[in-house]
Amino acid sequence: MMDRLRLLLPLAWRNLWRNPRRTIITVLVVSVGLWSILTFSVLLKAWSVSSRDTTLKLMTGEGQIHATGYLDDPTVAHRMTQPAGKLENILSSSAVAAYTKRLRIAAIVQSEYKTLPMTLVGTDPARERRLSVLPDRVREGRYLDGPADTGIVLGRNLARRLKTRVGKRVVVMAQDEKGKLAERAFKVIGLYAAPQQTEDQFAFTGLKTAQAFTGIGTDITEIAFVTPDSQDIADVIARMKASSPGRDIQSWKTLAPLSYAVSTFFNEFILMWLWIMFALMAIGIVNTQLMAVFERIREFGLLQALGMRPRLVLMEVTLESAMLIGVGVGLGIAMSVLSVQAFPNGIDLGFLGRGAELVGAGHILYPKVDAGDFALYSLIVWTLGVVATLWPARRASRVSPVEAMGRF
Amino acid sequence: MTAIVECKGITKHYRQGSIDVPALRGVDLAIEKGDFASLAGPSGSGKTTLLNIVGGLDRPTEGTISIDGQDLTALDNEELADLRLRKIGFVFQAYNLIPVLSAVENVEFTQQLMNVPAKERRERAKEMLHQVGLDGMENRRPSRLSGGQQQRVAVARALASRPSIVLADEPTANLDTKTAEDLITLMSDLNERYGVTFLMATHDDRVISRTRRHIVIADGRVASDELRPAEMAV
Ligand SMILES: Nc1ncnc2c1ncn2[C@@H]1O[C@H](COP(=O)(O)OP(=O)(O)O)[C@@H](O)[C@H]1O
Ligand SMILES: [Mg+2]
Repeated sequence: MMDRLRLLLPLAWRNLWRNPRRTIITVLVVSVGLWSILTFSVLLKAWSVSSRDTTLKLMTGEGQIHATGYLDDPTVAHRMTQPAGKLENILSSSAVAAYTKRLRIAAIVQSEYKTLPMTLVGTDPARERRLSVLPDRVREGRYLDGPADTGIVLGRNLARRLKTRVGKRVVVMAQDEKGKLAERAFKVIGLYAAPQQTEDQFAFTGLKTAQAFTGIGTDITEIAFVTPDSQDIADVIARMKASSPGRDIQSWKTLAPLSYAVSTFFNEFILMWLWIMFALMAIGIVNTQLMAVFERIREFGLLQALGMRPRLVLMEVTLESAMLIGVGVGLGIAMSVLSVQAFPNGIDLGFLGRGAELVGAGHILYPKVDAGDFALYSLIVWTLGVVATLWPARRASRVSPVEAMGRF
Repeated sequence: MTAIVECKGITKHYRQGSIDVPALRGVDLAIEKGDFASLAGPSGSGKTTLLNIVGGLDRPTEGTISIDGQDLTALDNEELADLRLRKIGFVFQAYNLIPVLSAVENVEFTQQLMNVPAKERRERAKEMLHQVGLDGMENRRPSRLSGGQQQRVAVARALASRPSIVLADEPTANLDTKTAEDLITLMSDLNERYGVTFLMATHDDRVISRTRRHIVIADGRVASDELRPAEMAV
């Protein structure tokens, strides 16, 4: 086998450069095609990560724990006790990067001018900060300073619609523990900025304040958590479920189905793009290789006349294609890495404005080379390319030496 | 003497559309070890067809052909390739060499196919190039060799694998008189010194007159086959 390679490699390599123009064109076709696949995959992945992160970092986290039934009917009737025992152990272990406890209930907010529905979230600001960006998005006033804070933080748009502002009071109504309507005045202490839908829906107060308001003692309705990068979220959730069978534990994939759909759609799109580009490349490669083979029919006849087995001729031509496409693939990878590195500070989608927000992406994409993806897509293109050129190669090996060399 | 090649009742018919073209109509021929033979005849008489069949490049319609006692009609394509590699040296009229290989690499090529160790085959190739008078040309690609030099490289290659027989089809057809003379002298020397067996299809009198065995083929049959003393080079 080594002897065969030592025979074929130099032959194939030199044959490759007999028609440099054609070789370069083929190399370019392969490299540009692969480049488009790789950069596309990087961009779409960055887009989907950004879209996911944007959603998850607002409120969702990567996973949430509720009492069974809460997701269908988010009221204090479906509350739960504070985490304890095994569940608490998992939440405090290294499998979980951060978690926060919330009392989150449907409510009505009322100003002098207007009454609007919203969701009141009682929270512990120190914990909340570790998995949500909202505490840092306060544009006027301040965020909650502790679980006992009695003020309320509204979204800017909600405040605008209520015609209220920092320093004024609003009245919040919600069902209490007995199913009666509780009512309480809150002082507006801050306004936060977020996508409009979030601004309109969520208002924040201290966890203890909210618990007292609804009269549920130390109970809560929601735990949100995030895991370290390396952690497999499905595994953590499985362990949590095993530790507390009575609770409803979900990953972001079910909690934020749109984000999940976007990321799976992008994955499918990349695959589709790969096939389209590959089909175009294959046409180019097979064409040039067929041409190269037909030009050299006489030579393939000679090789066989001299005693080179047809199978070895097939190997030689296949090796040429493998090298040719290999060079293209190498160049394509290099081009892609350079393209990605051309944006060390990310790609600012600010110019898309609210448009980018609508499709769920953050404003800045951070393209990143994923070695695994690169290797996989390159290998697919290379392998399929070589397989496609088996056809011209077979032609070369099927040449009858007498006919190929003409009548001497 | 031992027969290297034995043809018995060889016929070859080509089909051209619906027409049946008989190229060989029953050839019986034995080539002996050490023969320096020419296969002469007018154009279209079947010289090339016969040579191709003897060399295992083509198959007869009828008849049997054996080389060193091995029946070629029983071999499949891969086995025929092996047989050509080990038993036959070819010198064609033109386009003999692999363009991307240098002269010495071309000579080495068949030995490489036979897995001769690198050092040994390189030495043998250089020796062969020396024998055909191409010292100093070892590293030239075919495109930088003259027609005569290319034919010499082809002869060197044909001999390097130590074949049972060298088949040459119109080896001088593209060469000028002087170069043709030199080439035939070279082959004649190799035959006399090393006993290499040659069979050359040609209608070139310069070649025919220098061979010892004159086979004439006409209309797909052997018309005459005689031994004569070869004329000396002028
Ligand atoms: N591939 C072929 N197809 C059809 N006819 C052929 C083919 N090869 C040779 N012939 C015919 O066979 C006869 C012998 O040809 P060939 O062996 O080439 O003669 P020579 O080499 O003596 O000139 C000729 O009539 C030629 O036309
Ligand atoms: Mg001929």
